[in-house]
Amino acid sequence: MIGNDIVDLTIASKQSNWQRKGFLNKIFTVNEQEFIKNSNFPNLTVWLLWTMKESAYKVYVQQYQHRFFAPKKIQCEFISKTKGQVKINSEKYNITSVFHSNYIYSTALSSSGGYSSDDFFKMKDISYSEQHKECYKRLKRALSEKYAMPIEKLRIKKNSIGVPKIYQNNKQLKTSFSISHHGNYGMYSILNSAK
Amino acid sequence: MTKQELITSLKKIVKPYIQDEAAFENLSEETDFVNDLKINSANLVDVILDVEDEFDIEIDNEAMEKMLSVKAAIEIISIKLKEK
Repeated sequence: MIGNDIVDLTIASKQSNWQRKGFLNKIFTVNEQEFIKNSNFPNLTVWLLWTMKESAYKVYVQQYQHRFFAPKKIQCEFISKTKGQVKINSEKYNITSVFHSNYIYSTALSSSGGYSSDDFFKMKDISYSEQHKECYKRLKRALSEKYAMPIEKLRIKKNSIGVPKIYQNNKQLKTSFSISHHGNYGMYSILNSAK
Repeated sequence: MTKQELITSLKKIVKPYIQDEAAFENLSEETDFVNDLKINSANLVDVILDVEDEFDIEIDNEAMEKMLSVKAAIEIISIKLKEK
């Protein structure tokens, strides 16, 4: 399964003050806090770790159908600058991250593997609902091409815990996908099987 | 504090972080911070820190884990206030 998360760094600096007292300690493990402290680019490191956690969490929620807010239970380790591994309880997720001076995004895959196709785009309208619609539209377009299905037949509906699922007519498709948008940026990721 | 008073103060706390005005106007016990109010999860940390400051309580990790809805938040705040 797949999960992704994107952070617009400009918007993040307006929306969140991670230097606020107590903030880092609610989210990051001792090791992660140490890593941020020793980083040459603490702001980037904070948001990189954040997208790693959030993307892995989005896979976990699909697997276990259980939501929670415990960022410290989601533990990050780096393999290289752009590859990492995240643990949530006994599950491990492989993370690939992309960074730019204006944004960072991460894609998480469960241990069952596969590879992701990610599509990243800039958005003009920064209202939440417009961005949401735009992401759904782009995702449906991509899936309609992937499965050679007319786009009008595809519907995205959230399940009872808020995870979006894709339906053709009224039949749910098994494809794992994830969308994320923040500030001026949006993305979707679709899981392709390993074969 | 009555439940209604708690909801009123919580509503004030979440206001700067919401991204869905209609859901905010209709805020009730059943309102979900993420799915309904579209609060981004980094700002959920701010909500928790603001709750701690406002009520002078500590939300430990175990309590924080459940803080996804108005209902859960008021339950947690009530318990923590009683423990004071």
